[in-house]
Amino acid sequence: MTQVSPHKKSIWSIILLAVIFFLALVALMELVARTSWFGQVSPYRSVGNYHYQFEIKWFRLQDYVKQNGGVDIIVLGSSLVNTSIDPDIVSQTYHEQTGVSPRIFNFGVEGITVAPNSVIASLLVERYHPALLIYTTEMRDYITGNGLDYEMRFLSDPWFRYQRGDFSLFGWLVDHSAVLQHYLPYRNWMRSDYSETMALYIKRYQDTSASGYEPDSMIGVNVDVPPDPNDSEEAQYFNAYGNYQIATSRLDNLKSILDFNQNQGTTVLVVEMPVHQTFYAYVGGEEVHIQFQQTISSLIAANGGTFLPAEACINTIPLSGRSNRWHLNYLGTPVFSKCLGEQLVVLADQQNIDFNSSNTGGSR
Amino acid sequence: MTSLAFAVFCAVAILVHWRLPQRYRTLWLFAVSIAFIVTWSWELAGIFLVVATVNFYLGRWLAIAERRRRVLLWIGIGFDVVVLMALKYSGFYISALTDLLERMGVHTGAGGLLLLVPIGLSFITVQMISYLIDTHHRILNPEIRWLNFALYVVYFPKILSGPVERARTLLPMFKQPRPLDARTMERSFWLIVIGVVRKLVLADTLSAVIPGAIFLHPENYPSQNLVVYLLAYAFVIYNDFAGYTSIVRGVSGFFGIELTSNFKLPYFSRNIAEFWERWHISLSNWLRDYIFFPASRALLKRIPNRYHAVNLVIPPIVTMLVSGMWHGLAPNFLLWGALHGLYLLVERISILRSPRRLPDEFPKWRQVLSALGVFVLIVLTWIPFRMDLATAGHYLSRMFTLSAWIKPNFWLLRMYLIGKVQVNSWVEFNLPDIRVFIMLIPALLLDWRQARCKDETFFTRWPVWESALFLAVLALVLILFSLASTGAPFVYQGF
Repeated sequence: MTQVSPHKKSIWSIILLAVIFFLALVALMELVARTSWFGQVSPYRSVGNYHYQFEIKWFRLQDYVKQNGGVDIIVLGSSLVNTSIDPDIVSQTYHEQTGVSPRIFNFGVEGITVAPNSVIASLLVERYHPALLIYTTEMRDYITGNGLDYEMRFLSDPWFRYQRGDFSLFGWLVDHSAVLQHYLPYRNWMRSDYSETMALYIKRYQDTSASGYEPDSMIGVNVDVPPDPNDSEEAQYFNAYGNYQIATSRLDNLKSILDFNQNQGTTVLVVEMPVHQTFYAYVGGEEVHIQFQQTISSLIAANGGTFLPAEACINTIPLSGRSNRWHLNYLGTPVFSKCLGEQLVVLADQQNIDFNSSNTGGSR
Repeated sequence: MTSLAFAVFCAVAILVHWRLPQRYRTLWLFAVSIAFIVTWSWELAGIFLVVATVNFYLGRWLAIAERRRRVLLWIGIGFDVVVLMALKYSGFYISALTDLLERMGVHTGAGGLLLLVPIGLSFITVQMISYLIDTHHRILNPEIRWLNFALYVVYFPKILSGPVERARTLLPMFKQPRPLDARTMERSFWLIVIGVVRKLVLADTLSAVIPGAIFLHPENYPSQNLVVYLLAYAFVIYNDFAGYTSIVRGVSGFFGIELTSNFKLPYFSRNIAEFWERWHISLSNWLRDYIFFPASRALLKRIPNRYHAVNLVIPPIVTMLVSGMWHGLAPNFLLWGALHGLYLLVERISILRSPRRLPDEFPKWRQVLSALGVFVLIVLTWIPFRMDLATAGHYLSRMFTLSAWIKPNFWLLRMYLIGKVQVNSWVEFNLPDIRVFIMLIPALLLDWRQARCKDETFFTRWPVWESALFLAVLALVLILFSLASTGAPFVYQGF
C-alpha cells in the first residue's frame, strides 16, 4: 500500500468517503442479488425469522404468484396442512368438475396455531387478495398455552412486526434488500449447529413443491390403536391435551380470520383436519370433540364463514395414509386433497365464488 | 462495549466533553463514568465510591504520617483485599456462611445470602494497592483533589476490564489540558474499529464455532477436534480481550486520555518472559512491580545469592500463583498460574548456563521455532483456564490419547464433493472444523500486518481512499456478521 503522511488526512474525509464506498458496494451487491442468475446460484432466502419453514413458504408463495400471476386460494394452517394437502391435486379435481383450475397455495407451517395464523392470514390477504382463504384447524389449536413458545418468538420477530406496521429498521431493510434476504439463510454459518440446520433447511426447501406442499413419507404404526395413558410416551399427550378447554383468546383469533369475510372480500372456509379418531382419547373422548365442533361451527356461522367438519372426508382416508394420529402421509394426502377439491366445487357453487375471473387477471 | 447504546453514550459523552470549558471536563468525565456504572447497578457505583474515598484519605494520611506508615499501608491493602474477597469471591464462602447461619438459627431467606458481584473490582483493587504502595514509598505524591482520584477509580472506559492504570500516569492526564488533534482522533477512531472487528468478527465468530459441550464433555469428541477447538479458544480469548482494550483505548483517546496498551501480538512471543511482556501488559507489569520484584528483593536480603534455588523458584511461582488467584479463586486458575510460573522458572534456569541473549539476536528460523514452541505451551495453559480441574485433566489426556484420534473419512468427503452422497454435518468426515482455519486467516493477517508495520493502527499510513475503502468493507462485514445470533459478553468482564 502507498503510504502518506497521516497529518494531511482528516478522519471525517475518510468516513465520508467510506460511506460513499459503502453505498456503492451495497448498490452493486443489490444489483447482482436481483439477477435471475444469482437466484439460481443461491435460491435460498430468509427474512431473519427463526422459523425457517415459514420463510420457505413465504418465498415459495412469492415465486408462485410471480409465476402464475396471482393466487386464488391460500390454505393456511399448521404442519397438518403442510403435509396433508396437495394444492395441485385439489386444483386438478376442481378442474375435472368445473373446467376451471384455481391457483392454490399451501401455507401450512409447523407448530403455528390459530394465534400467529390470524396475523399471517392478515398479511397474506392484504398482500395477495385471494378469493378464498381456507383456514384448517383442529382441537389443539384452541388449548391455552399450546404452541405459545413458537407464538411468542414468531410474533416478536422484527421483520414480522414490521409487516404488522411496527416500524423497525431491520424489518424494513430485510423486506427491501435482496442481498440481505439471500445472505440471511447463511447468517449462522459459524454456529456449531449450523450444518445440521442448513442441511435440514435445504432438504425441506427442495421437498416443498412450487405450490407449498411438503410430502411426508412416514407410514404410521398402530395409529388405530387407542392410546394407553400408562404408556410413558403417550402420557405426555394425555397431560398436554387432557381436561380439554377451548381458550376464549383463541376463539377471538379465529374470529379475526373470519372477519375477512366482511372486510376484505375474501371468503373464509374453515376446514377441520381429519385427525384419526383415536386422537380424541387424549382430549376426553368423542363427545368432547363434538362439543368442540359445535362451539366453533356456531362461531363460524355467526361470522359468515363456512365450516367443513372432519367427517366430510375422514372415511375416504386409508389407515396407511397416515404418518401418525394427526398427519397424513404421501398416500393419504392425494385422497384427502381430492375430497377437498370436490367439497370446494360444492362450496364455490353455493357461495358464487368465481375462480375463473381471477384466473385471467393477476392477483386481485 | 460493542452495543449501539454504548456507542451513543460515548458519542454524547465525547461531544459534551469538548463543548465544555476545560475546568468542567474532569467533573463531566466523573459524572458520565458514574452514570455508566449506574447502568449496571447503583450499588456498584456506591461500592466504587467508598473504595475510592477510603483509599484517597489513606493515601493522604500516608503522605503526612511520620510513624506507623507501614501499618497504615497494610490497613489500606487489607481493606482493598477484604472488599475484593467479600464481594468478588463470595461464591466460595457464601454457601458455607449461609449453612452456618441457618444452623445458628439465623434464617437468610429462600435464596440464601446474596451479595452483589461487582464487575471490574479486581482491576480497581490492584490499582488501589499500587497507589498506596507508591505513596508509601514516596514515589508518588498523593492526589489532593477527591474528584481527580475518584475519576481515576471510576473512569468508565477502563472500569470493566482495565487496563490496570497506574495513578502516576493517569492522574496527571486528568489535570492537564487535553488537546484533541487530528492525528489522535484518527488513531482513536481506528483503535475502536480494530477493537470492534477483533471482538465481533473474530472473537465472537470463533467462539460460536466452538461447540459448547466440548469444554464440558471432551470425551465425546475426537482428539483432532479437541486440538482445533483449543486453538480456536486461544484466538477467542486473545481477540476478545485485545478487542476490548483497543475499543476502550480508542474511546479514551477521544477524551484526550491515553490508556496503556495491553497487548503487543503476544502469540508471536519467542519466550515465556516475552509473552508476559506482550499479554495483558498492564497487569503483568503490576505483578512484576508489586509481587515479583518485592518478593525477589525480600528473598535476596535473606539469601544474598541470585542463583540460590529459593531465589530462582519462589518469585516466579508466587507471582504467577497470585495472577491465577486474581483471575479466580478456583483450583483451575491456580493450576494455570502454576503452569506459567513453572514455564518462567524453567526459562530462568536455562539462561543460567549461558549468557542471556535477546530473542532478536537469534537467527530467524530459531525465532520462528521458538515462537511456535511458546505458542503451543501457552495454548496448553488455556485448558485449565477454561475448564474445571477434572475436565481439564480429561481434555488434556484425551488430546494425547492415540486411540482417540479418529481417521478422517476421505472417501465420504470425495463422494460428497462429487455429489454422490448428502451429509448433515462436517463432523461426519472426522475432519477438523475448517471454519476455525477460515477465521484464523484474518486474525493472523491482522496480527502479522500490525507486527510488520510495528504499528497497531497501520491503516493511518494509507491514502484516504484506501482507508475509506477498507472501512467500507469492514462496515459491510460487521453488519453481515452482526446478523448472526452469537452475541457473547467480553471474556475478561468476568474477572
